[in-house]
Formats: sequence, structure tokens, C-alpha cells
Amino acid sequence: MNFWFSIFRQTGRNLRQTWTTMFMTCLTVSLSVLIFSFFYLIYLNMLNAESRLSNELRLVVYLEEEPGPELQEQMRLKISRFDQVEEIKFISKAEAFNRFADQLGDNREVLTDMPQDFLPASIEVIPLKTLRNLSQVKLFAEYLATLPGTQMVQYGQKWIERFYSFIKLLSIVVLISGFLLILTATFMVASTIRLTIVSRQEELELLKLVGATNNYIRTPFLLEGILVGLMGSLLGLASLYALFQWTTHHLAGAGFLDLFTFIFFPPGIIFIIIALSIVLCTAGSYTSMQKFLRI
Amino acid sequence: MSKATDSRTMIEMIKVTKRYPPNVMALDDISVSIASGEMFFLIGRSGAGKTTLLKLLCNMERPSNGLIEIAGMNIHQVTGNKLAKLRQKVGVAYQDFRLLTDRTVAENIAISMEVSYKKPELIRNRVRSLLAQLQLEDKHDMLTGDLSRGEQQRIALARAVANSPSLILVDEPTGNLDATSTAQVMELLSRSHNAGATIVIATHDESIYRHSSHRIMEINNGRISSLTKGDGQGWPNAAGAMDGGSGDAI
Repeated sequence: MNFWFSIFRQTGRNLRQTWTTMFMTCLTVSLSVLIFSFFYLIYLNMLNAESRLSNELRLVVYLEEEPGPELQEQMRLKISRFDQVEEIKFISKAEAFNRFADQLGDNREVLTDMPQDFLPASIEVIPLKTLRNLSQVKLFAEYLATLPGTQMVQYGQKWIERFYSFIKLLSIVVLISGFLLILTATFMVASTIRLTIVSRQEELELLKLVGATNNYIRTPFLLEGILVGLMGSLLGLASLYALFQWTTHHLAGAGFLDLFTFIFFPPGIIFIIIALSIVLCTAGSYTSMQKFLRI
Repeated sequence: MSKATDSRTMIEMIKVTKRYPPNVMALDDISVSIASGEMFFLIGRSGAGKTTLLKLLCNMERPSNGLIEIAGMNIHQVTGNKLAKLRQKVGVAYQDFRLLTDRTVAENIAISMEVSYKKPELIRNRVRSLLAQLQLEDKHDMLTGDLSRGEQQRIALARAVANSPSLILVDEPTGNLDATSTAQVMELLSRSHNAGATIVIATHDESIYRHSSHRIMEINNGRISSLTKGDGQGWPNAAGAMDGGSGDAI
């Protein structure tokens, strides 16, 4: 009989004897994984939305007067002097009027009596993708406001600021919840294994007395830790996926949620969550066993 | 092999003392050498120190002073896998049996062979053979918790000899047994002895050592009070059980 055959038999025996405790631990782990993954998935989707919004970010510089070609060139140079930009587009008063009329669609007749130049001329600046930091955008907007003839600069400040604050808050929630749930899962697994050890102390002591090596005693518990980590994380992720499917199916087309394209974890992240869960549960088992084996 | 022992010495105890707190002297200045393949009786009244001596020999406890060597190794300095390997070669039948009462008889006996990775078929055959020798075949699948004290005692002994260890330590092997069962137990031990195992039996059952030809060490209040030999007439119910042996001259 080789080592692994004995170990698997011992593990199977342990699981048969303590399956209720193991099942409860598995549920605790899956709940921890579910809660953590839930926040993380929201965070990931927010980042995704942020990335999409960033792609559409543009600063609009409203001008007092419509600049001539020469002034346009000077302004283009001044803007490029602050930072390279993706695109600079001058919008004349007439173009602004036409755009507005297009946006009004069937209601464009409200503009019938309005003069064609009642809207100010503007410059649309699309920053480079590297300029995605809110403070950098702010600085850039402040710089643009100093351009000669500028009335105001708009880039949806308040909305973007709130969105960024929300993402910052969410990342803190994800970090804290992740940390606490990792502690909880590890502690739970360690406690369960310790309880199992206490309930089987007599047997383990006998095993030592008849000449079982520490590996012979320890490995089945480590395998149980691995199994709990694997099953717990799979169950947690499967529940989250079901929840995700339900949410996307039932909330599709509901108001502001249309802004977002919901995504689930990519395979790499799923693998990391499962691996992390296994490592933590195994570490919980290992520490409990070490305490026993030192006695 | 250390300088303290030669190749034929299985157990070497030199000036061994065991003191329990606060100041209870369980063993005092015990020095004895037991040869490889010897059957050795340890006698004395209850509380004399027999069980303590066996516990020191199987490394369940450490001596307060002195040196104990098993097969040339200071067992209290051996740790980890070396200690595990050493323990696989030492079979112990404890006074309190130490059976796993929620496991079957077969599983209890098999445990000592499983830890040394014996083949499953070999384990099954050995378990059946031992149960047959002790006339407990019908108890194979019973939980040990459901057995009588006498049956439990025999199962504990079967587990001690199952792995064919080179040293067998037995604490009061006949305490709960009738004459027939006592004969079966002694027969089993004599088979192991004839196969070359060193056997140390702690007992106060005079009937099992009186007529043997082996050495008998009496302990009184933790000290050796005598070291003698039996009268050599042998055990009447177990042919050869008490004879033969390779006991050294006293």
C-alpha cells in the first residue's frame, strides 16, 4: 500500500465521519466567496463603465467669439502645449445650431424664430487615453479656461466627480470586505479542522504511537482543506453567476442600467479566486495541524 | 549502534529515574539490559512503576534522568520520521487498550500495518489470521466499543503484534481474561517471540511467569527489588510459550 493510497483512504474515512461539519464549513467558505466576489464584480463592472466613460470624455471650451483660421491655429498650438491631445475640433455657431436642431429631432421647429448664431462657438478637446485621472482632467480644464476668449469649460464635472468618488468608495469596500472575508474564511476553516482534531484526538494520538509519520497524519487534513476551498469557491462562484444571469436578464433595459454593459469575471480572475480560496483553506488546516503535531 | 549497547541488546536502561510533580518518585535508578529476542517479565504490585517503565520504553513519557536506548538509539532524542519508523517496530498493548471504539475490530488491528503502508491484501490476511488465533473471527466487523473487556484486551494485543514488530511491550495482558483466553494470548506472544521479537510483559499475574524460563524483574516502589528466572517448567496450556527464548544469564 503506498502513501497516497493510504492518504486517500484516510481522507475518505474522515469525510464520511465528519461530513456534516465539512459541509457547514464549505457553506461558510462559499458564502464568504460569494460576498467578496459580489462586491468585486460590482467594482469590476464600475471600472469597465469608467473605462467606457473615459473613452467618451471630452472637454468643451465655449468661446465668446468665433475664432478665425489664424486664431484657431494659435489656440490649437496653445492646447497642444499643455499636453498632447487626441483631437481638437472647432465648432462654429452655425454648426452648434445644426447639432442642437438635430438633437431636438421632431421638435426642431421651436428654433424657427431663433437666430442661427444664438449658440456660442466652441472647441471640443478629446484628451489622450493616458489622461484619465480626474485631477489631471481638472488641471487640463483649468488650463483651457485661461485660453483667450474662453467663456467656460465643461466636461460634466459634477457627474464625473461623483462617479469617481463612488468608484473610490467601492474599491475601499471591496478591499475591506475582501480582507475581512479572507480572515473569516481562514478562521472558520481553522476552527472546524481544530474541532475535528479535538474530536479525533484519541485516534490521532494512537496513530502517532503506532508510528504514523507527521505527513501521514497531516496530509488528509490538508486534502480536506483543499477540498473545502475548492468546493466552497465553486459553489460561491456558481451562486454569483446565477445571480448575475438573473440580474442581467431581469434588469436589462431598466433606466440608467442601460449605461452599463455587465460583464462576469474573466477565466483568469475565476482561477485566482478559486486558487486563493484553496490556499487559504489549506493554510487554515495546516496551522491547526501544526498546533496538534507540536503537542 | 552506540557504545552503551552491543548488537544483541534491544533495550538498555541506565540509571533511569522518573519523577512526577510535585515529588512522586515513580522509578528510581533503574538499570537493566534486555537482549534482542528475549522475553522479559516485569512484575510488581499495582503502582510499583511497571506501566511507567513501559511508557518510558515506548516514548510516551520522558525520563527525569538516565538513558534509555532501543536497538542502540536513544529514543528520547529521536524525532520526526525517525521516531515514527522506530515506533513502527515497537508494538504496544496498553493497559487501557487505546482502541478506537467507533471502528471495527478489523480496522483497529489494521491501523498499525496501515501506517507502515502494508499491502491491503496482506493486512486483510494478517487480521483474519490473528483473529483466528484468538478465536475472535466472528468479531471481525463488530465495533470494538461493543466488545467485552476481555475481548478488547485481546484485540489490543492483536494490534500490538500485527505489524510483526521487533519489540513488543505488553501491559497486563491477562488482567481481564479467563484461563483459556490467557492461554491464547500467551500462545500469540510466544509465536512472536519465536519469530524473534523481544517481548516485555508487565504483569502481576503470577501464573504466566512462574513456570517460565525467562528473566523476571520485580519492581517495588519504583526500584528493582529482584531479578530472577522462572522455574522453567513452562506454560501448561500453551506448548512452548514459555520455553525456548534467548534469555541471558542473570
